[in-house]
Amino acid sequence: MLTGSADPGVLAAGAATMKSFDVESLRLEGVETLQVFCETRRADAEAFLPPALHPTLPPALTWTAHRVNESPWGPFSMAHCRIECRSGLRQRGFLRGGFVDNPEAAAGLSEGWGYALAPGQVDLQAGYHETRLRVEASGAQVLDLSLEDPAVLRPQDTHFVASMNLAHTPNGLRLVQVEAEFEVERAERGRPQLRGFDAEGWHCPGLEPTHPVAALLARGAVTLPALRFVCRPDVLAFTGSEKVGGAN
Amino acid sequence: MKFGIFFELSVPRPFTPEGEHQVFMNALEQARLADELGFSTVWAVEHHFLEEYSHSSAPELFLTAVAAQTSQIRVGHGAVVCVPEINHPIRVAERAAFLDQVSGGRLEFGTARSSTWTEIGGFGADPDATKKDWDEFVHVLPRMWTEEFFAYEGRCFSMPERAVLPKPLQQPHPPLWVTVTSPGTELDAADRGLGCLGVATAGFAEQERRTREYHRRIQLCDPAGAVVNDRVSTLNFLYCHEDARVGGERGMAMMGHFGLMNAHLLFTREAYPSTAYQSLGNLAPPPRASSAPSPAEGPKLPEGMCLGDPQHIIQAIKHWESIGVDEVNFMLNAAEVLPQDQVLESLRLFAREVMPAF
Repeated sequence: MLTGSADPGVLAAGAATMKSFDVESLRLEGVETLQVFCETRRADAEAFLPPALHPTLPPALTWTAHRVNESPWGPFSMAHCRIECRSGLRQRGFLRGGFVDNPEAAAGLSEGWGYALAPGQVDLQAGYHETRLRVEASGAQVLDLSLEDPAVLRPQDTHFVASMNLAHTPNGLRLVQVEAEFEVERAERGRPQLRGFDAEGWHCPGLEPTHPVAALLARGAVTLPALRFVCRPDVLAFTGSEKVGGAN
Repeated sequence: MKFGIFFELSVPRPFTPEGEHQVFMNALEQARLADELGFSTVWAVEHHFLEEYSHSSAPELFLTAVAAQTSQIRVGHGAVVCVPEINHPIRVAERAAFLDQVSGGRLEFGTARSSTWTEIGGFGADPDATKKDWDEFVHVLPRMWTEEFFAYEGRCFSMPERAVLPKPLQQPHPPLWVTVTSPGTELDAADRGLGCLGVATAGFAEQERRTREYHRRIQLCDPAGAVVNDRVSTLNFLYCHEDARVGGERGMAMMGHFGLMNAHLLFTREAYPSTAYQSLGNLAPPPRASSAPSPAEGPKLPEGMCLGDPQHIIQAIKHWESIGVDEVNFMLNAAEVLPQDQVLESLRLFAREVMPAF
């Protein structure tokens, strides 16, 4: 089995800080989600993951953006980039970087679920022939991609994987497992078009997207759940997993 | 009840030419012994690019070697990927007929469409089309084998009139199967008169439900080939040892490693959401969490797995038999977790103590 080779201490630069694991689940209604799956260079397979996680073959990343109209923090849009991976037997995405346009949402998502999100403009525009995502930070564009020629899918055809967010926690530096639940009402799949990606801006210097595979646009409720597990980043999940919160 | 052996040809890291060679030679030795011991079929999968999990990218060559080194055991494509970007249907028909000829009419012909993005994406195939491709293949292949001259205007390929050669030795043609991973594929098999080649380790209740529905539906089938194959096989793991604890521990180590390799595959649905791939296609779900043993009890085996002493394995197979399963195919190793001498001894003990009960 290939395992990640990145130094967790280096990966932790800019990681979120969580004071406790006792977060209540949060249901967000009417969320518009764009997710784009893209293969990356084979040589990148292990370099961007901590030793706890295994790369997929071929290695891949996903960009995911949410436009949320109602939340305890008001409306917000966020986008994040994850490396697709396995934690033990499970499919996961390792969060490398993200942006959000609402400081209160940034704080809430960081403290509650370990999302490290920098301030940025996240512009997700869904249309009938194209959905476009543009992300800008510090005056520079860090992502520009689109879903083109959408075709309707059934809600049950969609697939989302849980996130592993590296954060400073009461247990130390840990991968926080966020098993977001999607209740999809409408879904479309289209051809992904990647126009620009600043890997360094997403804390992935050197990462090369090579082959965009599919873009998915979904509308429906998203629930950020109470936390159940965290995992040490330096050892495999079989030995490094820890129950937290309401896990039994 | 018939017994087969089933090869993924998984190779442990680090990959070396010698390491791959050893895996292939070990598998051939297992096949020769299985032939001597009275096993019915050697199956070999077709997979591409699946590092560690399966290096069986040219199963027709492996099976040709098996056929040359054995005398009775049948050789099974388990299965040919019926997607034109991966295998052109004319070449599939030619290779299969050739293997049937050189094996002396011992070919079992399985069909599949691939479940991983690693493979489908690697060949640039269209995930939305693979089910339709497979359906077209299973209808035209028997015609290529049985018609002196064949011409075709179809969806995934067309050809002017030609003689597709050679013809199979078995008449009218080798038995046809389809691999069943996703729930519901057994109905596709039944409707077309194809054998149900289980490659996912379902539990007793689920297998009984699928088998009952398969047998009900195949009575009404519109056969894709010239002959109906109404057999049901399941996939299992085999490690047989006089000491139940040793058998369970070693067998679980093998099965657990295979489950881990399987979980690390990149399934199509994960990369490319599609109606055509409704399940992730897991080939071997890991042992249930509830099976974690206490040190005093020894390993608690997953339902129906043939890991342990001969008596345990006989009971498991009797249960499979009672719910309508005709054949059980065994994985014998995973990435060489078990030493070759242990695999061979397990096969011998199975033949000596278990086979006579059936």
